[in-house]
Amino acid sequence: MKRKYKRKKDESEINITPLLDIVFIMLIFFIVTTSFVKEISLDVNRPTKSPVKEQKRSEVISVRISAEGQIFVQERLVDIAAVRANIESNLAIKPSASVVIVSDRDADAGFLVKVIDQSRLAGAKNVSLAAQK
Amino acid sequence: MLRKKRREEEESEINITPMMDIVFIMLIFFIVTTSFIKETGINPNRPEAETAIRAEQGNILIAISPSDQIWMNKRPIELEAVKIMIEAAHAENPESSVVIVADELASTGLVLDVMDQIRSSGISKISLSARKK
Repeated sequence: MKRKYKRKKDESEINITPLLDIVFIMLIFFIVTTSFVKEISLDVNRPTKSPVKEQKRSEVISVRISAEGQIFVQERLVDIAAVRANIESNLAIKPSASVVIVSDRDADAGFLVKVIDQSRLAGAKNVSLAAQK
Repeated sequence: MLRKKRREEEESEINITPMMDIVFIMLIFFIVTTSFIKETGINPNRPEAETAIRAEQGNILIAISPSDQIWMNKRPIELEAVKIMIEAAHAENPESSVVIVADELASTGLVLDVMDQIRSSGISKISLSARKK
């Protein structure tokens, strides 16, 4: 009686130990490889090399960065702190204008990011980049 | 006799079903959240920006050092190799976008060249890494 019972029980149970082993190994693998680091970044819009459509000069606010890091808004030399105010006043005149940043190749990338940031803060919807040859 | 035996067996076994549940939930969580970010190999000094946002899908990283070297997958690469490397990384993970981690002192020209290379590989979602102010 006792014997029969025991055998029956053994057969009815599935051994889940190997399954557990694999699940634990997978769990440890994913815990170790997961990195929650996400880059903080600015989306940029770079026009393609082929000219899509010429934008009218009146609809563009041009911001030029010289090799020395001087910033010109509509060909007027301004300080980095004044870029936002200048773009804002230009946007008030031409609300649908897009900002085009023309940067010298030797200018620091830091200036580029600062100018993109400042024009975003000024409320420009469309900020695009161009390089000066 | 039979009854006594049964009770004894129930007491000696630990119920591992809740543990299995938790382990499986953790496993699924880690599988879903894992994104295999490939380190660039250098840690450039990111420029500060106020409008920067967290790049949700940004997991192709490409770094530019202050001395204008391009780094990807922990080794320096040539500008001509950027396109191939990006295409390979994009094929592995088609939903990803590219984040350029440019140093403050890197030249704008190289950043724009890298951007052109990324664009020619067919990815239009490019962002520039920044540091939250």
